[in-house]
Amino acid sequence: MNNSIAVVIAASAVLYGTPLLYAGLGELLAERAGVLNLGVQGMMLVGAAMGFWTVQRFHVGSGGALLTAVGVAALAGAAMALIHGFLVITLRASQIVSGLALTIFAGAAGLSSYLGNDLNLASNPARHQFGAVFPSAAQHWPIVGPILFGQNLLVYASWFCVLAVGLYLSRTRPGLNVRAVGESPAAADAMGIDVIAYRYAHVLAGGAFAGVGGACFSLAITPQWVPGDEMIAGGAGWIAIALVIFAFWRPDLVLVGAYLFGAFAALPFTLQARGVTIAPELFQSLPYVMTVLVLVLVSSGVAKRRLGAPAALGLPYVREER
Amino acid sequence: MRAITKRFPGVLANDRVDFEAASGEVHALLGENGAGKSTLSNILTGLYRPDEGEIELHGKPVHFRSPRDALDARIGMVHQHFRLVTPFTVAENVVLGDHRGEGRTLRLRPRAIERRVAELGEQYGLRVDPRARIWQLSVGEQQRVEILKTLYREARILILDEPTAVLTPQESEALFRTLRTMAAEGRTIVFISHKLNEVKAVADRVTVLRAGRSVATATAAEATAQSLAALMVGREIPAPARIATAKRPGRPALELEALCAQGDRGAPALHEVSLTVRAGEIVAVAGVAGNGQRELAETITGMRPPSGGAVKVAGVALATGDPRAAIAAGVAHVPEDRLGTGLAPSLSIASNVVLKSYRSGEASRGPFLRHGGIRRLAVEAIRRYGVSAPGPTTPARQLSGGNLQKVVLAREFSGKPRVLVAASPTRGLDVGAIETIHTYLREAAATGVAILLISEDLDEILALADRIAVLYEGRIVGERHCPGADVGEIGLLMAGGAGT
Amino acid sequence: MIRIERRLRQPRLLSVVVPLVSVGFAFGLIALVLLATGHDPGHTYGKLFRSAFGDTGALTSTFASATPLVFTGLAAAAAFRMNLFNIGAEGQLYFGVVGAVAAALLLHGAPGAVQIAGMCVGGAALGALWASIPGILRAFGRTNEIITSLMLNYVAGLVINFLIFDTHSYWRDTTSPSAAVFPQGKALPDAALWPVATITHAAGGVLLPLGFMVAAGAAIVLWTLYRHTRFGFELNVIADSPRAARYAGMRTRRKILAVMALSGAIAGLGGAAQAGNFDHLLDPRGLQQQFYGYTGIVVAALARYNPFAVVLVAFLLGGLKNAGFALQGADFPSGLVGVMQGIFLFSVLGGEILIRYRFRLKREPGAAHLPEPVP
Repeated sequence: MNNSIAVVIAASAVLYGTPLLYAGLGELLAERAGVLNLGVQGMMLVGAAMGFWTVQRFHVGSGGALLTAVGVAALAGAAMALIHGFLVITLRASQIVSGLALTIFAGAAGLSSYLGNDLNLASNPARHQFGAVFPSAAQHWPIVGPILFGQNLLVYASWFCVLAVGLYLSRTRPGLNVRAVGESPAAADAMGIDVIAYRYAHVLAGGAFAGVGGACFSLAITPQWVPGDEMIAGGAGWIAIALVIFAFWRPDLVLVGAYLFGAFAALPFTLQARGVTIAPELFQSLPYVMTVLVLVLVSSGVAKRRLGAPAALGLPYVREER
Repeated sequence: MRAITKRFPGVLANDRVDFEAASGEVHALLGENGAGKSTLSNILTGLYRPDEGEIELHGKPVHFRSPRDALDARIGMVHQHFRLVTPFTVAENVVLGDHRGEGRTLRLRPRAIERRVAELGEQYGLRVDPRARIWQLSVGEQQRVEILKTLYREARILILDEPTAVLTPQESEALFRTLRTMAAEGRTIVFISHKLNEVKAVADRVTVLRAGRSVATATAAEATAQSLAALMVGREIPAPARIATAKRPGRPALELEALCAQGDRGAPALHEVSLTVRAGEIVAVAGVAGNGQRELAETITGMRPPSGGAVKVAGVALATGDPRAAIAAGVAHVPEDRLGTGLAPSLSIASNVVLKSYRSGEASRGPFLRHGGIRRLAVEAIRRYGVSAPGPTTPARQLSGGNLQKVVLAREFSGKPRVLVAASPTRGLDVGAIETIHTYLREAAATGVAILLISEDLDEILALADRIAVLYEGRIVGERHCPGADVGEIGLLMAGGAGT
Repeated sequence: MIRIERRLRQPRLLSVVVPLVSVGFAFGLIALVLLATGHDPGHTYGKLFRSAFGDTGALTSTFASATPLVFTGLAAAAAFRMNLFNIGAEGQLYFGVVGAVAAALLLHGAPGAVQIAGMCVGGAALGALWASIPGILRAFGRTNEIITSLMLNYVAGLVINFLIFDTHSYWRDTTSPSAAVFPQGKALPDAALWPVATITHAAGGVLLPLGFMVAAGAAIVLWTLYRHTRFGFELNVIADSPRAARYAGMRTRRKILAVMALSGAIAGLGGAAQAGNFDHLLDPRGLQQQFYGYTGIVVAALARYNPFAVVLVAFLLGGLKNAGFALQGADFPSGLVGVMQGIFLFSVLGGEILIRYRFRLKREPGAAHLPEPVP
């Protein structure tokens, strides 16, 4: 039963959806604070590179090395996000152009490739990688075994993150403040909320999540270093941006969307292995096409107010403007 | 506040302003638009930092680095443009940014906040459903939320910036009662306004600002409207006098037949409005803001498609929902929002002068522009209407309000209009500019233009109009000839009182 | 305390000086990156300059790498000037290649000039068509064009993959022996190959591709369109204030659609030039490794959306790209080109604030006004 195609697809959807989930949660935090960061692709790649470098370099036992690697990946992603934050929050540059600049700066033809070369990442296989957490008996339980118990620690941690981000935004005071900053920075400012600090904090958190998302590839899914966008399955960063829209800026729906898009990413391989030949492009293009459709839906009048983007998304906030 | 100075690029907004208010009083801050009232209050609430001068609170000097400092010092403000997060509930808006008491907990407890908001509302007569979302509320209710916000933060000093601009006379009365209650508890109320009668009605003392300076502080009971007006403007001004214009209205130039339209949120905003304006006549539409004025102006000029009825110009029905058709039929429009709708802010005066006539022979030949011709038209407009600007290439956003309106009028009259729809043409202008704009409107009427003046300012309406139509909740609830209209009766109609 | 104030006037000189200073600052920053990673900046810069512009061969390659960037740069500039953020030049260029190759194959046997003209039309048409999707959604559904055009890049990439790898399409070569080993596109007929002019006075001769000349022509047309026509006037008003445009009776929706289509057509023309002058077939892998569309946005932003500056900046970035390709190795790590492009862009973007705002260093009351150094 566990070899049935549905179970195999579900299990790999979770595996491939996890990096999207991390990166999507990060982008969601930044966008909820009103900052669009199109540089996810770049942040993920740098996270993947630095995470992989750490496991190769630190000899402190498998667990320690892997956890350190995740931390380093998060820091690397946050460092990339800091550049974007400085440009768009402090220097009030265009969020779109700055985000694209970050993609080029950090992306497949930029810093991540530079690091990959300079740190010699491609020449060695991985020393450590995240593996299944639960004993193999549990993994063989019907249906739930491969899907729920066959996953690595990063997957379980991502569930915790979804819960944490969801509660943070809906049930806590800083969460309320962030939402206000993204919706109406002027109102937030008048109520004594430090708009600039909130924006920086969430852009940085977004970068950290993207870095971890990238590390999911180099530490778990494909534990090696491949130069170029292939390292993160082509366009995971862009799909993550799409995902946030697809999920109407809600963490719980980011989880659903991530696994759906993860399934599309995994489907061609799974089907190919079964001898079914359908053009893989069909499935690969679904996340993009669906996001466009959702965006059309969201921008139609009625849906806009209830499901729409944070009202101040993409706009710099300047207090003393005359 | 002592010797407060604040400069903005190109403007000295506050020039060594002194201001002092005692606890338990309602202190009015009176001044014309642009006199520096809002700047001063933004400094007091920590939103702006003064360039010079200092603030003392209960005898101790304070330095506000941010609005948070001011809030912690228990100073609250109700801004003219509300600072509310529209998708949030009332309770969420009230608790926003709070970091004391209830606010110290990380967890948000909506029920407790909702209870507290309901209690406060009960206590001060500011009833509003704590769970309602802001966009569902009327403007008056939104203002109550703003006041509740300051009460929740236990403000001892409350500043209200032009709070009655969005209220009916009845709502204003209720607000004044709330403010008196709060003052009686020992709070300080700073009431910013440019309306003399209001100030007289609610304030204990008045400080008058003029051109960024504080010119006098007086006891409200002792001051007269005349003396305050003189202080505010800096010279004696005669009571608004009508310049009698003996004229015979011509044929109907603009006819509205059972015009209906929807507001931005899709709710009906105009209900079967029927109105006729004859050539050479000035008909004023009076009403409290938000009763369909904007929708009326936009529907007539084609910017908003009507949901029923017709607009006729010189007897011919307009293709509705198409500004170009209205322009071609000779409908000129002075929009409410002059910078942004009436003018493109970053473009030059020259471009703005030909905004509607760029297809004409003087401005273009075939698909190409004639920059020389455009420049000539602009220089001519600047000269004729006395626009003070460095030159035709100056971007519109660098002009003052009065000069912006002159550019708009220059362009609109250059099209030789039959009908002019003027929406709040003098809002926010100083007295000199208001007089100039009024003169242009009268001259236009004298040459046979039919003018529909939409205004919230009754004094302006009484000074200009031949006929007054009162708009209330999207309906014309009464029409009176002017002069001869009874101001009290008009006011009653504006408030939705019985009409004929 | 530093205060940032909006400038009342933006001196013209600043809009030239600030980007130049920003680029200089970027060179300094990159030198630091190089030093930090153990490279000699002087040595690297020297090699870089020589490989980009140092001799006729280098200049020939630089023109070749600059050509698609001029097109995508103009495509971005045309839309961004109007506050329409068409991020889709990448996909529109792919479709331009598809259209141009199809046109050339269909016109097989026609005179060369006809084939080349057909490629231009086919490329521009498909590019415009692909750009019209976000254009229509934006104009009639108010859907944000940034994300839709971005998403459609990936769909376009998958479409060209499909055309060559997963179907026996019109574009796929099914006859030649090498195509049996690895799927590849059908080669253009010889007459459809775009000519290359030789600038002879330089020793050896610099080769100037037809595509570059077409691109320069497109820049002149674009500039004239925006500066000297009624259409351009309407665009300027719409860009500055859509409400004012509607108030003045302009047909905003049509203009939005027209600008998106124009932007897509320019990118598509770039695809035609790429196929005609350089690739000679539809090569999905090759196209998707170049990031022409995204780099075009960098070009447009660095050029501050001025069409003539786009040509110049594209030439310089083309040189950088070409040099990076030529030098790849121990003393010029791959990835440095992207890092350099990114830093240039960050610096110029960050420098913009100096054009729009002025910094005032305030001491105590009675403040002294000092200009703040470039970040």
